[in-house]
Amino acid sequence: MKMDISKMRNIGISAHIDSGKTTLTERILFYAGRIHAIHEVRGKDGVGATMDSMELERERGITIQSAATAVSWKDYFVNVIDTPGHVDFTIEVERSLRVLDGAILVLCSVAGVQSQSITVDRQMKRYSVPRLAFVNKCDRTGANPFKVKDQLIEKLNHNAILMQLPIGLEDKHEGIIDLVTMKAYYFEGEDGMDIIEKDIPTEYTKQAEEYREKMIDAVSMYSDDLAEAYLEGKEMPPAMIYDAVRKGCISLTLTPVFLGSAYKNKGVQLLLDAVTRFLPSPKDRPVTCLDLDNNETEVTLQAVDSMKTVALAFKLDDGQYGQLTYVRIYQGEVKKGMELYNIRTQKKFKVGRLMKMHANHTEDIEEAGAGDIVALFGVECATGDTFCDPSLNYSMTSMYVPAAVISLSITPVDKKSGDQLAKALNRFTKEDPTFRTFVDQESNQTIIQGMGELHLEVYVERMKREYKCEVTTGMPQVAYRETVTEVADFNYTHKKQTGGSGQYARVAGSMAPYAEADYLFVDNIKGGSIPNEYIPSCDKGFQSSLYKGSLIGFPIVGVKMTINDGAWHPVDSSDLAFQQAAIGAFRETYLKAKPIILEPLMKVVVEGPTEFQGNIFGSINQRRGVILTSTEDGQFCQVDAEVPLSEMFGYSTVLRSMSQGKAEFTMEFLRYGKVPNNVSEDLKKAYEAKRKADQK
Amino acid sequence: MVKSELIKQSPLRILDDSTHGGVGIGNIGVLAARQGTGKTAALVHLAIDKLFQDKHVIHVTFSQRPDHILAYYEEIFTEISKLKHLEGAMAVHDDVIRNRTIMNFNDQKASSTTHVIESLNARIKEGAFKANTVIIDEFDFAHSTPADIKAFKAFALAQNLEIWFSISLDKESDAQLAHDVPEVLKNFVEEVAVLINLKPSKGRIHFALIKDHGHKPADLHLLLDTKTLLIVKE
Repeated sequence: MKMDISKMRNIGISAHIDSGKTTLTERILFYAGRIHAIHEVRGKDGVGATMDSMELERERGITIQSAATAVSWKDYFVNVIDTPGHVDFTIEVERSLRVLDGAILVLCSVAGVQSQSITVDRQMKRYSVPRLAFVNKCDRTGANPFKVKDQLIEKLNHNAILMQLPIGLEDKHEGIIDLVTMKAYYFEGEDGMDIIEKDIPTEYTKQAEEYREKMIDAVSMYSDDLAEAYLEGKEMPPAMIYDAVRKGCISLTLTPVFLGSAYKNKGVQLLLDAVTRFLPSPKDRPVTCLDLDNNETEVTLQAVDSMKTVALAFKLDDGQYGQLTYVRIYQGEVKKGMELYNIRTQKKFKVGRLMKMHANHTEDIEEAGAGDIVALFGVECATGDTFCDPSLNYSMTSMYVPAAVISLSITPVDKKSGDQLAKALNRFTKEDPTFRTFVDQESNQTIIQGMGELHLEVYVERMKREYKCEVTTGMPQVAYRETVTEVADFNYTHKKQTGGSGQYARVAGSMAPYAEADYLFVDNIKGGSIPNEYIPSCDKGFQSSLYKGSLIGFPIVGVKMTINDGAWHPVDSSDLAFQQAAIGAFRETYLKAKPIILEPLMKVVVEGPTEFQGNIFGSINQRRGVILTSTEDGQFCQVDAEVPLSEMFGYSTVLRSMSQGKAEFTMEFLRYGKVPNNVSEDLKKAYEAKRKADQK
Repeated sequence: MVKSELIKQSPLRILDDSTHGGVGIGNIGVLAARQGTGKTAALVHLAIDKLFQDKHVIHVTFSQRPDHILAYYEEIFTEISKLKHLEGAMAVHDDVIRNRTIMNFNDQKASSTTHVIESLNARIKEGAFKANTVIIDEFDFAHSTPADIKAFKAFALAQNLEIWFSISLDKESDAQLAHDVPEVLKNFVEEVAVLINLKPSKGRIHFALIKDHGHKPADLHLLLDTKTLLIVKE
């Protein structure tokens, strides 16, 4: 079943937690005719929303994994990619943004643009995803879609334009006025299935005229025809207006705003119309990849079936019978039985089963065309792999993967769990590039690393549920770094005489702070005082010293090592001797270069009712945080701060209890900063004590 | 140049000297000018000068754009450190950030004097932030009463700090200020210790001292450099 590409939409739904994203997705799937009953997220009937396929998500009421679901609306095909709403899982969000052509930004009509909306919006900007806004929950007390539209302009810098007006708000929210057709719409019958079109109620006509004028004024700049018709007072047919809005939206310079209440079944069908009308099809957005055979030059892909295939594996899922790989086809087509090439593993494989994923069932298909999203069955690969026609060597540009900031040691409770652990870790690291694991050489413990406390917690729970693997966890450990602050010279001789040929090497130069990168090696040797063949040995020796700093045993970053002199011996000098000399020089100089400890600083945004502002200030202050700004808006306040990650453990519990559960926070990695002296002394002492204990 | 030298050489020492030691604890200073003459820039330079002296500053805005104010601080800090070749600029910058808070009040309810003072107190007490100077940018004098200013003064005295307000004047009021107190400030001038007017003329922006505690106002000989937005000697 291949589709007309211009009638295809790959969309995502992004939002702050609790803006009703999952409910909206559920309604979209419902109206698009594929599922037969609506379940709430925190289901009263215990079934849970269709997109949250994992048991754990159901329990926590949040969506963790993105799943791609195919629906059809009128004569369009829409792939809905559900994206997680919690910032600890941003790699999931970013990964799904990569394969989207457009997105719905869901905003709560009461809370407006919240911190998470800002983060998600910034990510969408990075991937140039055109978006429309849906102001949800217009039935809630305090609903004010006009304020939310203003916030889109002020806080997110969007050129936001209301395309609709609400008929009544809060508990009087009855329907929606469309400013293009100038009609009122009501949603009646079971689950709001019947859309009733009526004339605009007289009390709203004036307001509707006024907002239509504003809308036309803003969108007319995208269409000469419309501008002309508008100026000359001629008739403006809806198609002409739609065309202008679509141009503005696709060029990312206009954000049309729609309204409704997913929970009360209002406005969702009109939103679906807007998705098909204004968001781009796969061929409307150029996508580039890198040609590995041609020095990684950029190649623009064409969403054309007849060209050679290029596809991206953006999500893995552990199905009942094996691994399911979600793939976005950027160019060419994928057919059952065809041969594809995995660029990373450099292995060819045959496409076995090819499937279209619906919310609760799968459908076997024979082929899929350019632009589509499908699932492959039983393909050995990792997330982010590119699949190509065997004659191509293209790679989709690498995705931005942030550094891990937190680690946790885990120990299986029994042998059976131990066996399962390897399987689980293998799966998770494939699925999620921000989740890393390794075995600590000294303690022999398995360490997992990730983006935050919750991120790792979720994986520990998934081990238990999906792999029946019980583990005990250690204290979360912050990923500290060490660096130097001053320039120090060295002149070190490594000499060893142990019968037979000895070891001899001398290196001289300097160690200096270096802000641009983690490490730089500079060779300033003149006149061959160190022979060329041994220069890489010095580099290697320095690099091996970076692995563990002597302050608290964490990696050293931001150093420039320069060598400018040395000495060698025709018989006793060797690669090993120079490596040893470099290691010795590094060790000797490190303390002279005034080393300091760095810690990850997080950008923390706390939001809550104004009455708790004082408590929020206090809690940040107690955590060595720096309050950058605070903003008060009616009943709500937002505090932006920089707080060391090491102080943020357990903050969600503290915040919840001091605000009666009304305040919430998000955090993301900002930068590495210097640890204050008193804290740094404590860290050094603890490291010293641990070392002594280990030696015993 | 090291930080201590930079403080000593700052053109703002002229302001301190000419105003008998500055605004002073429990007192109010007002910077009045027409829209777009650089009030915020001048206040931010004033704030950074305090921050260099390891003092703490709270900057209140009603602009809905705290990011915009943060950008002002970054810009002016960079200009000063570049101009004076400040030593250890990174470390000084970290201290500056630590000792400064921007507080933004978005809507009318949040901007009421009682509420602003309440929030300032919360920041100072619960947030353990020993503020020395509070800057209140673009204060709405037209919709305030003398009681509001008295309340701010009482707060300043209780918390051992000084307050700088800025106010935008219309053309007439601005012209009037040179010889007489305009209507918008009439009810408040009594409570104001130091009043300064920013006056653009011939491509330069002059600082004119209108009120100096009880003294006869001196000539300040200060300018706002329109390129760097720094306060400089004339």
